Amino acid sequence: MIASIKENDELQMSAYCDGELDPPSAIEFERRLADDESLKARYNRLLSLRRAVRSLPQYELPPGLQARIQSALNADAPGQTSLRGPVVRLGHAGRPRQRSWSFQALAAAAVFGAVISSSVMLTIERYNPHEDVAREVVAGHIRSLLAPQPFDIASSDRHTVKPWFTSRLPESPQVPDLAAQGFVLVGGRVDVVGQDPVATIVYKHAKHTVSLTTLPPGQSVSDQAIAGYNVRSWSDPEFTYIAVSDLPSADLASFEHAFSAGSPVPETK
Amino acid sequence: MTTPLSVHRSNSWRTELNKVLLGKRPEGSGRLSGQQQASVPIVQNKDERAVFDEVFLPHMAEAYRLAQWLTGNAYDADDVVQDAALRAFRGIRSFGAVNARAWSLAIVRNTAYSWLVKNRPKAVFFTDDLSAAEQQELEHEGPHGTRIETPEEIALFKAEAEDVEHALAKLPAQFREVIVLREINQLNYRDIAEIINVPIGTVMSRLSRGRQLLVALLADRE
Repeated sequence: MIASIKENDELQMSAYCDGELDPPSAIEFERRLADDESLKARYNRLLSLRRAVRSLPQYELPPGLQARIQSALNADAPGQTSLRGPVVRLGHAGRPRQRSWSFQALAAAAVFGAVISSSVMLTIERYNPHEDVAREVVAGHIRSLLAPQPFDIASSDRHTVKPWFTSRLPESPQVPDLAAQGFVLVGGRVDVVGQDPVATIVYKHAKHTVSLTTLPPGQSVSDQAIAGYNVRSWSDPEFTYIAVSDLPSADLASFEHAFSAGSPVPETK
Repeated sequence: MTTPLSVHRSNSWRTELNKVLLGKRPEGSGRLSGQQQASVPIVQNKDERAVFDEVFLPHMAEAYRLAQWLTGNAYDADDVVQDAALRAFRGIRSFGAVNARAWSLAIVRNTAYSWLVKNRPKAVFFTDDLSAAEQQELEHEGPHGTRIETPEEIALFKAEAEDVEHALAKLPAQFREVIVLREINQLNYRDIAEIINVPIGTVMSRLSRGRQLLVALLADRE
């Protein structure tokens, strides 16, 4: 159906120019944009429309308005009359309500305190330097999922991602595209583990995001699940790798396989 | 990603309007998020006026801009922002300490529509979200009919500020508001969805359709 294809194009185009398309769709859209003259022309039209709307004159707040609002508010008090001051001092209206708020506040504070102290105790109990690394890596993964996109550089081209890392980090890993094995390269980002910036390569498998963080070699991090994410780690002479994803651990194992096969340790320079 | 191809909203503008007018949303959302974020102490410990100053005042300029676009002129915007400020102040306890900007703009937006219904009933113009048939009609109405436009033809598109302003003012309210919130207020989809109280998918499709409508309106002007 031509109409619906067109409509879908429009939706994608619109979301893409707002930066709201999810990463795999954005990459797919970019590929199409590069190939399709008509789509590119329509996209440019959308951009000039946006520029025009954004450059419309912006109406400034009239100078007197804020003052008028302030004085209107002075004549108004929520739920009470303008006699609010004396009423409160006499301890009538409004009092019981305030008390109930403070009980709620007390209860909330108690619950909050309990949660905090129990989580602190859990943290102390579980403290272990290597697990800490895993936790930080998982935190980086979670944070990336909350951001508009899970990477700083979006590209399915390994020849873009690798130099991007090289220009930012002392050590940058091989960046194989494992699309043939089902793991599509979507980009890379820099995570900070401890105090050190490290390279994280981002892959997609179906709708799942896999973050592969590369640490200095020789660390042992056990395979585990943290906060619902599976963690799998392995090392080669160059790096210790930590893969984090919501994929089942079997899939992460095949990811490790694909990655190790796809990135032979480079010959010495 | 699944892009919603059609919007599952067949309600008339009247329902839309009722939702806007009767919706207790800012209050409701405040309570909800209040549970997670323990908003209670914030309001409890401070003077309500101080909270209001912190929450609503920083967004006044934006609130005014939004009101200006929703009502169509500066005088009305003035009234709407004053009304909204009063509403926000009276409802400041319901602020959930999460997103002051979205909370404030939602109140402005709702105030603008109820103000319009009261004072300029003829000016409020919602349509249903366009059905597929209407969408086709829109495409037929375009200067090029259903013919597929060539890149050269598309490149001829011009968007002069004055024309764009008129076209934007002519858009049905639910398309205009998403475009204003996105381009003028520069909010992301999530915040827009929160402000106008619809799912993100609806924000996305309204933006897309609103932009298509604008392009069609601008092409018609020649």
